Amino acid sequence: MEKEKLFLNEGANSTAAVPIWNPCSFGMEMQSNKLNCCSDQLPNCFFNPNWDSSMDQSDPFASALSSIVSSPVTTSNAIPSSGGVGDPVMIRELIGRLGNICNSGETSYINNNSSTNTSCYSTPLNSPPKLNISIMDSQIMGNLPILGNGIPDHPSLAPFLADPGFAERAARYSCFGSRNLASNESELSHRLMPRLEPGKLQRVSSNPSEKATGPQANVNVDGNSNSDKKFSRLSRSSTPENAEFGDSRDESSVSEQIPGGKLSMKGLNDSNSRKRKAITKGKAKETPSSSLSASDSKVVAEMDESKAKRSKSKEINGDEKDSTKVNEEENSNQKQNKDNSKPPEPLKDYIHVRARRGQATDSHSLAERVRREKISERMKFLQDLVPGCNKVTGKAVMLDEIINYVQSLQRQVEFLSMKLATVNPRMDISMEALLSKDPLSFPYGYRSQQGIALPNGMFSNGETQFSTNPLNAVLKRNQCMQLPALDGFGDAPRQVSTFWEDDLQSVVQMGFGQNQLQQPQAFHADSNMPGAQMKVEL
Amino acid sequence: MNPHHHSSYLNPNSLKSRFTKNFLRSLIKINKQTPFPCRPTEMFQRCHKVKTAADKSLACAVGSRRVWSRAMLCKIRNRALRRGPQKPPSVRRIIINNRTMKKGFNCLKEKMNDDQEAGIDQTSKLRKLVPGGEAMDLCNLLDEAAHYIKCLNTQVQEIHDAERIESLGKD
Repeated sequence: MEKEKLFLNEGANSTAAVPIWNPCSFGMEMQSNKLNCCSDQLPNCFFNPNWDSSMDQSDPFASALSSIVSSPVTTSNAIPSSGGVGDPVMIRELIGRLGNICNSGETSYINNNSSTNTSCYSTPLNSPPKLNISIMDSQIMGNLPILGNGIPDHPSLAPFLADPGFAERAARYSCFGSRNLASNESELSHRLMPRLEPGKLQRVSSNPSEKATGPQANVNVDGNSNSDKKFSRLSRSSTPENAEFGDSRDESSVSEQIPGGKLSMKGLNDSNSRKRKAITKGKAKETPSSSLSASDSKVVAEMDESKAKRSKSKEINGDEKDSTKVNEEENSNQKQNKDNSKPPEPLKDYIHVRARRGQATDSHSLAERVRREKISERMKFLQDLVPGCNKVTGKAVMLDEIINYVQSLQRQVEFLSMKLATVNPRMDISMEALLSKDPLSFPYGYRSQQGIALPNGMFSNGETQFSTNPLNAVLKRNQCMQLPALDGFGDAPRQVSTFWEDDLQSVVQMGFGQNQLQQPQAFHADSNMPGAQMKVEL
Repeated sequence: MNPHHHSSYLNPNSLKSRFTKNFLRSLIKINKQTPFPCRPTEMFQRCHKVKTAADKSLACAVGSRRVWSRAMLCKIRNRALRRGPQKPPSVRRIIINNRTMKKGFNCLKEKMNDDQEAGIDQTSKLRKLVPGGEAMDLCNLLDEAAHYIKCLNTQVQEIHDAERIESLGKD
C-alpha cells in the first residue's frame, strides 16, 4: 500500500516513470509468483506501450499496468512489448499486486476511460494515477462485500479522475487505518459517494465509510473537539436508511443518499458500539464516528432531538441499553450541541438520548434518566388502566393502587371460579354445541335480553324438573331478564333463532317440544315468563 | 397513550374468545371427569380445579407472548407434574424464552434501584402478584403488570358471565 501511495505521490509530481519504482523495492519477490499466475504474456506486456491504439506514450509502467489490468478482460488487446524499463522486479511486484486487486469490471472501466491524464504518465488510457485510482477504488470496493458487481457505474468515476489531487487522496485512502483525512479531501468524499451510491452498499467496512465521510472533518484520532463542531453541523432527520442501519448492526451501511450528505453515522456508531460493547470505550468509538462526521451528512443524531420526541422511539428498541449507552457517550462528548433544536425524527430502532442543558451528561445519569422516563411512562399507562387513579400522583401511591387492584382482580377470579364450581353443571351437551360453533356468540349472547332466555334452556339438564316459580324469582331478580312478553310458544323459537345458529335452534326446538309436553300449564300461566318454557330438558 | 401498548396482541375480541373457548372446554372436562361433589373436600378440589382452569385458559389465550403468561403456565404445569404421577393429557409445550430468562438475571442488579425508586414493599408486592415478576426490572414489571391487569379484567368478566348463566340455569 505504501508503495502505491508513494507511487501515486510521485506519479503526480514527477514525469519519470522509472525512478518511482526505486523506493518500491520491498517485498517484490514474493509478488513475483503472483505475477506468474497472471497470464503468460504478462512479463512481455509490461513494456509494451502500444497495447491500446490510443496510447502514444512509451511509458512502460503505465502501459504495463494497463495491460495487466485489462488483460483479464480484454484478451483482444495486443500485448505490449516492453520498452526500456528500469526495474522489472519492482514493476512485476506492483503488477502482481494490481492483478490481485483489480476486478474485471474495473479493468473494463479502465479500458474505456480515456479521460485526460493529469499525471506525468500521459497515456490517454490510464495514467498511473488513474490506474491507481482505479486500484484504490478496487481496493475499496474489494472491501465492500456487496460490490461483487464491480463498479457498475463507470462514468461516475470520471469526476474522480478529473481531480488533479485525486491521486494523492486516493493514495491516502488506500491506507485504511489512517484517520487523518485532510479537509481538502472533501471533494473526494463527494466523488466517492456517487461511486458508492450505485452499489447500494449495504455493508461496508468502517474504513471506507470513514473515508467517504471523513474528509469533512479534519479529525484526528483524539479530535473530539473537532467532532463536536462537526456534529453541530449535522442535520437531524433520521433517514429511512436508519431503519436498515439499525437492522444491519454489524456493519454500518452507507446510504444511497450520501451525496446528499445522509450518511448514517449513527449506524456506524451503533455497529461499533455493538462490536465493542464497552461503555468506557466511548473515545474509541468516538474517533471512527467522528471521522465519519461530515458536515453535510445528516447524522441521525444522538445529540439531536428533544427527549419528548425520543420517547416515542423508546419502545421500538430491543437493544435499548446498548444504544442508549452509546448515545449517551455521544452526548457526553458532544454536549455543546444541545442547543441545537431538531425537528422530530421518525421513529428509529433505538433510543436517542440527548443531554439536556444544565443537566449531568455522564453516561450513568443519562441512562438513569431514560430509565426513569420509561418507568413514568408506564406508570401513566397503568393509571389509565386502574380505575380511580386519575388524581393520584406519585409513584408510591400509584403502586399501592395498582397492587390493590391486582389483588382484588385475582380474588374476584378466585371467588367467581369457586362459585362456578359449586353450580351444578348442566352444560355438557350445550356447551359442546356452543363450542363447535362460534364461541363469540356465547358470551355476547348473554348480554342481550332475549338471548338470556335460551341459555337458560340450554343449561337445563334432563334430570331436574324446574318449577317455574323459582325460575321466575330468579328471572325477576335479574334485571337483564326482562324479556319481552312472548305471545305464544311459537314466538320463542323464532326469537331464539335470531340469536343462535341454526344448529342450536334444532336443539332448542327439541327441548321446547319436550317442555311443551311437560309444562303446558306453566306456559299458559306465566305469559310474561317465556323463559320458563325455555327451560327445556335436553 | 403509549404507542407501545397499541400492539395488536391484545385484541380484546380475540383474547376474549380464546379465553372463553379454553375455559368452557376445561369446564366441560372437569364436569365429565368428576361427578358433582357432595363432600366439602371434593368441593374444594373442584373449586381449585376450576380456578386453575380459568388461569390456565387465560394464560393459553395470551400464549407465550408475555412473561407472566409463560410463568403462569410453567407454574401450573409444574404443579400438575408434582401432584400427579401422570401428566395431564393436554399439556401444552411452553417454550421458555431464553432471552427473557437472561434478561431477568441481568436485571437483578437493577432491582435495587427499582426498590429505592418506588419503595421496596411495593415493588416486591407487585412482583409477587404478577406471575413471573420476580425476575424483571421495574420497567418490564410495570409493562407486564399492565397487560396482566387487562387480561385479568377480561377473565373476570367472562367468568362472571359464565357463572351467571349457570346460576340462572340452576335455580
